[in-house]
Parts: sequence; structure tokens; C-alpha cells
Amino acid sequence: MCVNFRGVAAVSILFVFVGCKNSVPDSSLQLALSADIRGFDPALAVDVRSGKLISLVYDNLVHFGDSTEILPGIAKSWRISKDDLEYRFTIRDSIFFHDGSSLKAQDVVYSISRILSPEVLSPQSWMFLKIDGADAFMNKKSLSVRGLTAKNDSTLIIKLKAPFSPFIQYLAMPAASIINRKMEKLINELPAGSGPWKLLGWNRDGEINLVRNENYWGEKPLENTLRFRILSEAITQSAEFEAGNLDFLSIPPTEINRWKQKDKHKNHIEYSDELNIWYIGLNCSRPPFDDYRVRRAMNLSLDREKHLHLLIPGGELSSSAVPPSLLAGNHKINPYPYDPEGAIGLLEEAGFAGGFDTELWVGGGSEMFHVLEAFQADWASIGINVSILHSDWNVFKASVRNGRPPMYYLNWTADYPDAENFLYPLFFSEQSMKKRNRYSNPNLDEIILKIQSSSHGQVRDKLIQKACLLLHNDAPWIFLWHKGSYTLTQSYIFGYKPKLVFNAERYIYWEKKSVG
Amino acid sequence: MLSVIFIGRRNPLGKYVLSRIFQTLPVIFGVLIISFFLMIVLPGDPVLSIVGERYDEKTVEIMRDKLNIDKPLSFRFFHFISNTVRGDLGTSFITNRPVLSEIMEKFPNTLILAVSAMFIAVLVGVSLGVYTSLVPGSWIDKAVMVFALAGISSPVFWTGLVFVLVFGVHLAWLPPTGYGGVEYIILPSLTLGLRSAAQITRLTRASMLETLNQDFIRTARAKRLPRWKIITKHALPNSLIPVLTIIGTDFGSYLSGAVLTESIFGWPGIGRLVLESILKRDFPVIQGTVLFMAIIFILVNLIVDILYGTIDPRIRAGERN
Repeated sequence: MCVNFRGVAAVSILFVFVGCKNSVPDSSLQLALSADIRGFDPALAVDVRSGKLISLVYDNLVHFGDSTEILPGIAKSWRISKDDLEYRFTIRDSIFFHDGSSLKAQDVVYSISRILSPEVLSPQSWMFLKIDGADAFMNKKSLSVRGLTAKNDSTLIIKLKAPFSPFIQYLAMPAASIINRKMEKLINELPAGSGPWKLLGWNRDGEINLVRNENYWGEKPLENTLRFRILSEAITQSAEFEAGNLDFLSIPPTEINRWKQKDKHKNHIEYSDELNIWYIGLNCSRPPFDDYRVRRAMNLSLDREKHLHLLIPGGELSSSAVPPSLLAGNHKINPYPYDPEGAIGLLEEAGFAGGFDTELWVGGGSEMFHVLEAFQADWASIGINVSILHSDWNVFKASVRNGRPPMYYLNWTADYPDAENFLYPLFFSEQSMKKRNRYSNPNLDEIILKIQSSSHGQVRDKLIQKACLLLHNDAPWIFLWHKGSYTLTQSYIFGYKPKLVFNAERYIYWEKKSVG
Repeated sequence: MLSVIFIGRRNPLGKYVLSRIFQTLPVIFGVLIISFFLMIVLPGDPVLSIVGERYDEKTVEIMRDKLNIDKPLSFRFFHFISNTVRGDLGTSFITNRPVLSEIMEKFPNTLILAVSAMFIAVLVGVSLGVYTSLVPGSWIDKAVMVFALAGISSPVFWTGLVFVLVFGVHLAWLPPTGYGGVEYIILPSLTLGLRSAAQITRLTRASMLETLNQDFIRTARAKRLPRWKIITKHALPNSLIPVLTIIGTDFGSYLSGAVLTESIFGWPGIGRLVLESILKRDFPVIQGTVLFMAIIFILVNLIVDILYGTIDPRIRAGERN
């Protein structure tokens, strides 16, 4: 038996030493991810984490700025034709991929065509279906995309089928990253980009290390290395931050008061707006929610102000589908007030004087479960008995797609900073009827199509206001709130500035400096 | 293992091992069938995890076709079985990588954690168990039994978090979480190992107490053998059979991944791989890891059975008869 013990000890020590790898210099910026990324292939990245990392190692024609603005990327300038159909980009000279080969307009054509390619089968192909000839290419009726042309090494022309104002923003999204076709074979493992960071090592489910690209054409990152640690538990991330092993922390709303009490950290907490909306979807194709009066009553019956401020610090009540930061001018719509009497009146009008029973579906490990229980009590007070059904995230999503839940609690975060990103995917009849809460309104559809085709300006802003007002009155959802996020940086971190869009952060100006 | 099999024809132990391996084949086949049908009855839709939020319906259709999701059950079953038999566990729906490489990448980490946790469990458990059995009723015995009871009753996620906060954050002796050198393995293996240690302590103590009252120990004492020799040569080996069973089952379960410990400590092992793949309905990864875990479990049990024979010759004799 002694021999056995010795053997076990020897093997365990051996493994422990085999485990020593990937030591990162202390100077690197350290951040946390709640799960591993899917890979570095822009065509396959549909999740926020992969998108964030992809935007660090690749470049796009254009990039998102701190707020809603679009900044030049590898395209130093661009011109949009008067009919809003032709986009002419001038690509910078001397841009190199990480392997040293130069990036040219032909690479952009290749990268966008790849997303549409029937062989790659990218879930992001919807982004480029607006390009002329995209359908023919996807259906293998043509060998190239007619609307994509590289005039020469530095001139790229993209022609659309019809005017589509959010298109320039699409080009800043992770799926529009420019790839190096020579490196395509292993692209999901080894990024094939030209971005400000290069991959140093990826220990799957452990950590991802990036190093500064010394040959980057733009402003180079101030720090040398960037380390993303995969820590699935929020409490573990907090512990690592407190131990000084993370430089940045996203604080869950429920923990904010604890951090505010710590002298060392309270001055480094920052609240920033995000482009999201939290809502309860109402199935508009079935009773009782096929009646707008019942849907309005549902909105009036919740004391959202109280719940929001008591249970979730920060955030803003929502009045319609689009976050205020994306609405131009001063055309504010007031959120539904808390008016149980009014709600009872509307229910009586709709023939539900005695209330009714229904179900609210929730998916995954929702941190807001206690909020929903508070809602349950509000609804009960006007005679609506709501049972909360909790299921696994995937089952939940499949059920919502199949139109099963009468009510479901969900949120939406923008891919690009435009109201259209909240209107079309969530409320356009074709989308809502197939994937979401079965809402169909031809008037709204018409407005949304006009928003898509008109160029940015007052006319478009007015159309957006009109759509929001229509949605507010029609109430296909219970509009809850737009939630910001609380973040915490270590005292020695400088240069952090919150960004409105998830993939706008490229960690260029972040710097570790000793304080005092 | 192969050499054991070949010796098997002439060697009774080899024959025993061979017959045991043969017996495992139907078990593995059973696991294959169950893991396949579990995927059929599992609610949810794997395609929704792949395509994200803004998919178009056509992509979903093509994807379903590519992944054989809508094909007849019989086609999918034979496709799955024939690939598995050829050693092809398929490709992950989410990462597009071969399932086998996903597993083999994570398994060494799980092995490091399992071996270190078991090392702590056996070292602490057997020594405390033996010691307390020699001083039954003393205050040390009582203190150790309280520790053991606490160890068995504390949930892993709680112990893990307490360790992270105490040793990682407040005392800052060790890194709270993460993966890397020797310092990173201590807290997770303590978290995982202490529960088994507690169980092994109680079992070793009880088993030793029973053995120490046996006639052959009295004979050994009468022969004036030194005390340490009576304990290590006679009492301990005769008390180890039940302990070995616990070690075997615990070790098998550690090797199949310790989801909670791995999640708390950010340890990239098999447990988290399984959890993530279940949440995302990554069928090939779920099926592959279930099969892999079953094989590991069977192997560990086989080794334990062989060790029984090594420790207790009567078991071997029983097989021979």
C-alpha cells in the first residue's frame, strides 16, 4: 500500500508541474469573461463574448465610437451616393494582417462574400442580404456577389438592392471583420485579422491572452498584454477583483451597495447607459392578450417605479421599445403610470371583469426572480393570477419561438446603436409572428420599412417617434426598463471610458499606473 | 493493460481482468443507447444556440439538415452508433471542433484535480482514521469525528467559497481561483478532497476498530510484534477493502468532472464542459462526454476490483474457485 501512496503522490506532483504554463507578466490588463468564447471566426460568432474578442483582433471598414458615432476603420473615408444605394470606400494604404501580408480592398470583398457563402453557412448572413446579388450568390446561382467590387487595391464599392440606412453600422459589427484568406483554414482557433491585439495563447475554458500588435496602423494599445480569465461565477469574479487579480469588474445590480460601502473602491464605481430593454412579451395572437385593452391594463397594473428603485438600483423606466439615448429631440413619451383602478376599468371593458389566470415564462438563472414575484403580487391585486414557470434557457427560447408562452420575461440588447435595431427584429410582423410574441401591425410595418430606407435626419427621427408612440399605445409588451451597468476599476487603472455598443471597447487607452 | 490481457490466457488474474473487460461491453453499449435517446427526449432546440438572435429561417432550415436533426430516428441512431464505433464522436455544434479533442483537452485538468483531491482525501482520511481507531473515545477521536461529520455535511460550493474568501481574499496566501502552477491546485483540491477525507476517516476508523478486535490481531500481539507492525502489516490491509470502495467511487466521480468545484475555481475541466454543452444543447459533446465518463467509471471500478485481489488474497482465491 505504501508503494501505492508514493505513486499517487508522484503522479499528482508531476501533473501539478505539467499544469504550470502560460505565465503572464503582471503588467497585463486582466479582465473576466463569464464563459469561453466560441472561437475567432467572425462568421460563426453570434454571442456577445466572441464578438467582443473578435473586435480586438480584427479590423472593420468602420468602427463604433464611444457613443452612437461611426469612426473610420481600415476605410479612411467613404461616400454614399445620393440615391443611398452605392457606398464607395477608400481603404488605407499599408495595413497589414498579423502574418505580415497586406490588407487590400479584395480582402474586404472576400470577407463579406464569405459570410454569405453557402459553404460557410454563417448565421450572420442576414446582415449582407441587402447587398445587390447576395441572394443569387447564396443560392449558388452566381460565383460572386454582384454588388461587391474592388475597383483597385484601395477602392471598394458596395451596392445595395434598396436604400438601407443602418447598413454602415452593420459594417462595424463583429461579423463584418476583415479576414486574411491565407489563414482561413484555422480561423476559429487562430484569428486571421489585422486588429490592435494579437492572440498570444488560448487555454480553453481557462484564459485567453492577447498581446499588442506592434505593427498596428492606428493608435497602438498603451498596455502590452491583455488577459481574459474565464470565471463563470460572479462571486468568484468579485473575489479575484478584491484580491487584485482583476482590473475591471461588472457589478451585478444586487451587489452594488456592498461595493459602495468599501472606501477603497467606492470612488471607482461608474454607472453607464446601455442599449437594452427589459420587457414582458404578451402573446398577441391569443386571448386574453389579443385585446389591446388587456395589454394596456397589464402595463398599468405594475408599480414599476417602486420595484425598479427598490430592487434594481439604476436604470430608467421604459415607455416604449427604444432606449431614450437613441431617440433624437425632445419627444418624450411618458411611461405607463401605476394605475390599478384604470387597469380594472380596462379589464371590465374588455370583458375580463373577474380577472383571469395566465402564465409567465422565465428562462435560465434569472437574477430578477424576486422582481417577478413582486409583479405577481401586483397582478393578483387586480384579479389576475399569474403562475411563474421557470425553465432552462434553451427550452425557454424554443418555446418563445414556437409561440407557447402567454407571457414571457426577456430582454434585448442592441447590436448597433440605431432605433431600427429595436423596431424591426422585435416588432416587424414577419419577425414577431415567427420568432416572438405574435404581434402584427401593418401600419407599424410600413413605418419600420420607411425608417429602414430613409437616411438619417429629421424625417427619420419623426418616423421613429411615430413608431414608438404606436407601440406605446398598442402595448404588445409590458415595457419595463432600460438598465445601465455598474462597473468598477482598480484605482491604478486609467483611460477607461464606458462604451454604448458592446464591441466598441478595444482597450487602446487603458493603462496601469501606480497611484500616489 | 494489453500485456495483462495477453498474459490472461495462462494467468488467473489476467483471465479475471479479461472477463471483466468483456462484461463491460454491454454496459458501454447500454450507455450509448441511453445517451442517444436522452438527446431525443431532451426538450429545447440546439439550432437556436448556434444561430443567435437574428437568424433568418432559411439558415435554420439548412442548419437542421446539416446537423441531421430532422432526419428519421433510425438514420440518426445508426449514424451515431457507426461513427462512435469508429472512434468518431462527432463535432461540437457550438465550437465546430471534434468532440474528442474537446474532451482530451479538458481531461488532463480534471485528472490533475481528481488526483490531487484524492491524494489529500486518502492522506488525511486514512491517517486520521487509523489514529482515531487507536485512541477511541479520547478527545482527539471526538474532535476528529466532529470534523468528519462537518466535512460530510458541508456542501462543496459553500466550502469552496469560504476557502476563496479566507485564503484567497482575506489572508491572500493563495490565488483565489484560476489555473496554473502548484499554488492554484491547493484550494480546489482541498475543497473537493475534504468531503471524501471525512468519509474515509469515518470508514477507516470503523473498519480498523472491527479488525483490531479480531483474533489474528490478538495473536500478533501475543507474539509480541511491534505495535506499528501490527497496524501497518495486519490491521490496516485487512481494513482497507470498504475504504477502497469509497475511494474508487469518489475517484470515478471526480474524473467525470466536479462541476461545482470547477465553476467556483474557474478550473477548465470536464465538468464545466458537460454543463455548458447541456445548457447549449450541444448534443455531440453531451453524448461524447457521457460515453467517456462511463468508460472512465468502468475502468476505475475495474482497477479497484483488481486492487481488492492485491490487498486481500482471499478475493483472488475466491475467483479461482
